[in-house]
Amino acid sequence: MAQLELRGLSKHYDGTAVVDRIDLAVPPGNLVCLLGPSGCGKTTTLRLIAGFVEPSTGDIRVDDKVLSAPGFATPPEQRGMSMIFQSYALWPHMTVADNVAYGLTLRRLPVAEIGRRVSEMLAAVKLGTFADRYPGELSGGQQQRAALARALIVEPEILLLDEPLSNLDAALRDEMRFEIRRLHDAFRYTTVYVTHDQVEAMTTADLIVVMNHGRIEQSGAPEEVYNRPRSAFVAGFLGGANILKGHAIDATRLNVGPGVLRCAESAFVPGDEAALSIRFHEVRVHATGGPDGDNRLAARVIRQTFLGSLRDLALELADGTVIRATAPPDLAVQANARVWIDLPPERCRPLPS
Amino acid sequence: MRSRDILLPSGAALVLAMIAGAAIAQPTPMTITPEMVAAAKKEGKIVYYTAVDVKVAEQIAKAFEAKYPGVSVQVERSGAERVFQRIGQEYSSKIYNVDVVNSSDAAHFVHWKREGWLAPVLPDDVAKHYAPAYRDPDGLFAAWRITLSPIAYNTKLVKPEEAPKSFADLLDPKWAGKIVKAHPGYSGTILTATFQIARDIGWPYLEKLALQRVMQVQSATDPPNKVVSGERPIMSDGTEYNALLLKASGAPIEIVYPTEGTPLVVGPSGVMKNAPNPNAARLFQIWSFTAEAQQQMVDIGALRSAHPMVKEPAGRKPLSEIKLMKDDPVEVDKQVEEIKARYTRNFKT
Amino acid sequence: MTTETLATENAGRRAGRIGGIDLSLPVLAATAAFLALLIGLPMGWLAYYAVTDRAGAPTLVNFTTLASDPAFTEPLVTTLILCVSVAVAAAAVASPIAWLVARTDLPARRTIRVLMTASFVTPPFLGAIAWEILAAPNSGILNRWWRDLSGSADPLFDIYTLPGLAFVISCYTAPYVFVLVANALDRIPADLEDAAGILGAGRWRTAVTVTVPLVTPAILAGALIAFLQAMTLFGSPAILALPAGFHTVTTKIFSFFQYPPRPQLAAAAALPLLAVTVLLLTAQARLLGRRGYTVVGGKSGEPRRLALGRLKVPALALVLGVLSLPLMLPYAALLKAAVSSFPGAPFVIENLTWKHVNFVFVEFSQTRKAFWNTLVLALGTATLGTVLALVIAYLTARRAIAGSRILEFLATAPVAIPGIVLGVGLFLSYTRPPLALYGTLWILLLAFLTIELPIAFQQLRSSFRAVHPELEEASRILGAGRLKTLARITAPLLKSGVVAAWCFIFIGVVRELSAAIMLFTANTKVLSVVIYDLNESGDLGAIAVLGTVMLLITFAVVGFANWISGVGSGVRLRGG
Repeated sequence: MAQLELRGLSKHYDGTAVVDRIDLAVPPGNLVCLLGPSGCGKTTTLRLIAGFVEPSTGDIRVDDKVLSAPGFATPPEQRGMSMIFQSYALWPHMTVADNVAYGLTLRRLPVAEIGRRVSEMLAAVKLGTFADRYPGELSGGQQQRAALARALIVEPEILLLDEPLSNLDAALRDEMRFEIRRLHDAFRYTTVYVTHDQVEAMTTADLIVVMNHGRIEQSGAPEEVYNRPRSAFVAGFLGGANILKGHAIDATRLNVGPGVLRCAESAFVPGDEAALSIRFHEVRVHATGGPDGDNRLAARVIRQTFLGSLRDLALELADGTVIRATAPPDLAVQANARVWIDLPPERCRPLPS
Repeated sequence: MRSRDILLPSGAALVLAMIAGAAIAQPTPMTITPEMVAAAKKEGKIVYYTAVDVKVAEQIAKAFEAKYPGVSVQVERSGAERVFQRIGQEYSSKIYNVDVVNSSDAAHFVHWKREGWLAPVLPDDVAKHYAPAYRDPDGLFAAWRITLSPIAYNTKLVKPEEAPKSFADLLDPKWAGKIVKAHPGYSGTILTATFQIARDIGWPYLEKLALQRVMQVQSATDPPNKVVSGERPIMSDGTEYNALLLKASGAPIEIVYPTEGTPLVVGPSGVMKNAPNPNAARLFQIWSFTAEAQQQMVDIGALRSAHPMVKEPAGRKPLSEIKLMKDDPVEVDKQVEEIKARYTRNFKT
Repeated sequence: MTTETLATENAGRRAGRIGGIDLSLPVLAATAAFLALLIGLPMGWLAYYAVTDRAGAPTLVNFTTLASDPAFTEPLVTTLILCVSVAVAAAAVASPIAWLVARTDLPARRTIRVLMTASFVTPPFLGAIAWEILAAPNSGILNRWWRDLSGSADPLFDIYTLPGLAFVISCYTAPYVFVLVANALDRIPADLEDAAGILGAGRWRTAVTVTVPLVTPAILAGALIAFLQAMTLFGSPAILALPAGFHTVTTKIFSFFQYPPRPQLAAAAALPLLAVTVLLLTAQARLLGRRGYTVVGGKSGEPRRLALGRLKVPALALVLGVLSLPLMLPYAALLKAAVSSFPGAPFVIENLTWKHVNFVFVEFSQTRKAFWNTLVLALGTATLGTVLALVIAYLTARRAIAGSRILEFLATAPVAIPGIVLGVGLFLSYTRPPLALYGTLWILLLAFLTIELPIAFQQLRSSFRAVHPELEEASRILGAGRLKTLARITAPLLKSGVVAAWCFIFIGVVRELSAAIMLFTANTKVLSVVIYDLNESGDLGAIAVLGTVMLLITFAVVGFANWISGVGSGVRLRGG
């Protein structure tokens, strides 16, 4: 288990910063998720860690040894890392067993030991009976597990995963999420996991790092990042949230136009432009009632969709702002119906500018 | 210098040797000794650069190999002018491949002698039997073969009575587009013949011939092929021996020795000083001038020999009965660039 | 065993970093340096000779001499006419055939493709010699038939003319156009045509408005190759133009090397060829760069085939008729010459002979050496060239080092160097210390390597593009260096591309004449030179025998290479 540290790490292509001054420390044995939309620099960060790319500024250290710095990068093959690729990158001309054995062969282990460890590993990823198959003969999930086995068998100091589940269908993706977490709990490699899927990140990560425009927006434990997003971007990307902008009246109250909303937490600077976020499912919708109540606003239903376990509503406020809310399926409202919504103060998270 | 009145063959070789100013004493004539054969076998091979027809050359080589098993002959055959260029190119890069060289352009030996590239090897037969005209007084080379460049025609396409009798006849408009000739830039035989024709008949003849839409091939051995294939019914130059060989194989070809005289091409052989296989080279050179080898050359290759003991096969017109032009390698050596340039101007290739 | 125990048990033997230094950078640097030397040295000497006189003083007199001499300007004009005619003819004939084979239900499509490849394997100089036998104005077999049939005194076709030369060169350059266009047609996704169809375009209209424009770049590229081939070939014009009394630039350059040699003029004469080539390649790059032609190369289903209906038989007859020009007729002519007792002998039993076969295999002392040299050079160049092209293609496809674009340029540049020009350049470079290679097989190896590098490089680069870089990265992160990854992962994945590149080089070397003719010595003669020599002395029988055997050997080697690679292709198929 190794400690991974990125200090002031940047990568420029033709003058544009794809990765912009990233600082990140991954404690030994932790699984960190780099989460963000495509083009946010997460994959480049991973490739920087792997050594496929040389940094423009900053450095990468493993256990305080500098592996990458501008003009210098220990080649990937000497980093003692493993990686699982988006395409799995299983070699089509080798059997599953040969694929998995590859890293051990490079390390010149005795043939008998390689054989033993390969079969153990294949058993661990439930591919014991597929050893002699070629990758083309495996299903997507099996290929995924073979790729995992190939990466894990060399017992890397650091394991890197690049969107490993994005090519799987929804059911398999669910299964593999837990599988990855299970294997991580078993092997406890320091792991960096790149994904654009917040559910994947929430399921697997010890630490979530939300990236945008090459920078880290926020990092922390999944619950913390989810519950306490520090920017509109994080709030929106992780779980989905309504962002309401307005003028801060005092430390806790924001005038958003159609009304004044109060946050339980005080964070605003009076007079500043600021915003607050509230998740879709935290908005309470009432078909009847009046204007009285804490953080209550009038709204008009402009679209409602029945999703089985809930209803997805789009609601228009007096000033035309549209917010989304989810409501129980038994709440029967028609399009154009007038409703009241509650935005509970303890759910309204201030986003200071 | 019109000197057709001088008795043939000329003493040109002697003259040129004097001009070259070689003051070397004539070497001792060499005979084949068992020691020489043993040394040759140790070397195992000779490399023979030659301008003679490749099939003839290979048969001569096979005759030698049969006589001296264990010494193989590597035949490198090309046009004499190519052979000359090749040796020059190789020697300027210090590449010494060639052991024995035979050219159909005797002027080459004038050049090589001047450069000091030839080794003195005087075969016993040459010393004893060859007329001075056919050997170098310093023993550096001797006339291994004599080639003629006559006119020939296809007997299926041309009636004997209509066939041209002289070079002048070839200018008749009826032969336009019907003549094939070889190239002096490739063939030593043709270079020599062009020199003699230009000297004895004059360039105007060649200039007019160029207007006859001649087919231009490279090697002097090729026009007889084109005649028998019917591609062109007449050749205005080319080797007599190939025509004779084709005729013997049943091909429809007949030779005409033109009334102006037939170009005489002396083809000397010599051993190179830097020969990689000097003993085998000497053995080959001495053997190839023996009456036996010369007779084989005449019988197999239909060539003419300067060895007085060689018998002309029956049915072949003896050299003494043919009106020949006179060879003059020293003058050819001087004029070579001009002949080639002037020829190229006229014939466009 | 559970994963927990596996993890603990192995914790103590954690495989760490793999020792040893990274050899890849020195190898890359060495490759770049080698390539720069390989191409830069001969071109440098060529340029130097072009602008100096015999004494080595700088001068432009070589150019003025050439420009004012009709003996050089006329061949230059002839060459340009020849090149344009060949480019147009090859494209006009090969493109429709490619379309018939790739896009219609023409019968025997596979056979036609194989036959086209066979005409690619045929050396152009051998084809030229065969066409002498067929269409020499008087003795040519076809002209004789024509005379017998028509009673006319004039030949049907005179091969010893500029159109005759253009025809023969077109015969052997058309396969290039065919392969390029057919491959492009293969790769046009059917949905592009379906899109036109759904908008109401009929099948023929779709073909004209969608399919043809999409393969235009391939046709242009093919025509360009045909143009360059016509410009750089030496054997065919030497065989067909010289008897007719005209020169092309290559035969003229060759004549500058005959005694008395004028290398300065040869070097200066080479520069127009270089300039034209560079100009054309630049124009092509511009033309193709402007439009998004990458669509050709997308993934495809089975292409849609147009039903020819009643046109099937005439179309097949037409295609076979065209194929008989480079293949059936010439080979029949060569086989006849191989057993005829003298040139043009009537084909009757008493004129049949084994003497040419006997001559070639028993008497001719060149045969064994020439076969040996050719085989050694072809195998050596093919292997070395494939490795070199593989490394360069890797570096450029993966942008692995700075300056990989320069490598790309260097590896493509020899396309612009006609063989005879390269021959001159190499001769000037390697006849002096420290690298006095003239007289050894090495100089020929260098020449062939240079000449064949571009085609191998192009082939492998496109193969590389089909291999996902992650497959290589997966190997590197597991501890394999660049070279090891190249050997163990990339090379096997590129197998079919590698075999194709190898075969291209092998065939190219066997049929190469123009550089070899400048560089051979007695001990380093190759088959093409021997055949050319024999042609100059008119020994058709021997040429026919040697040519046929040479072809059989080429086919055997290429077949073997494909069979070897076929053994592994089952794995690839299963591997998807």
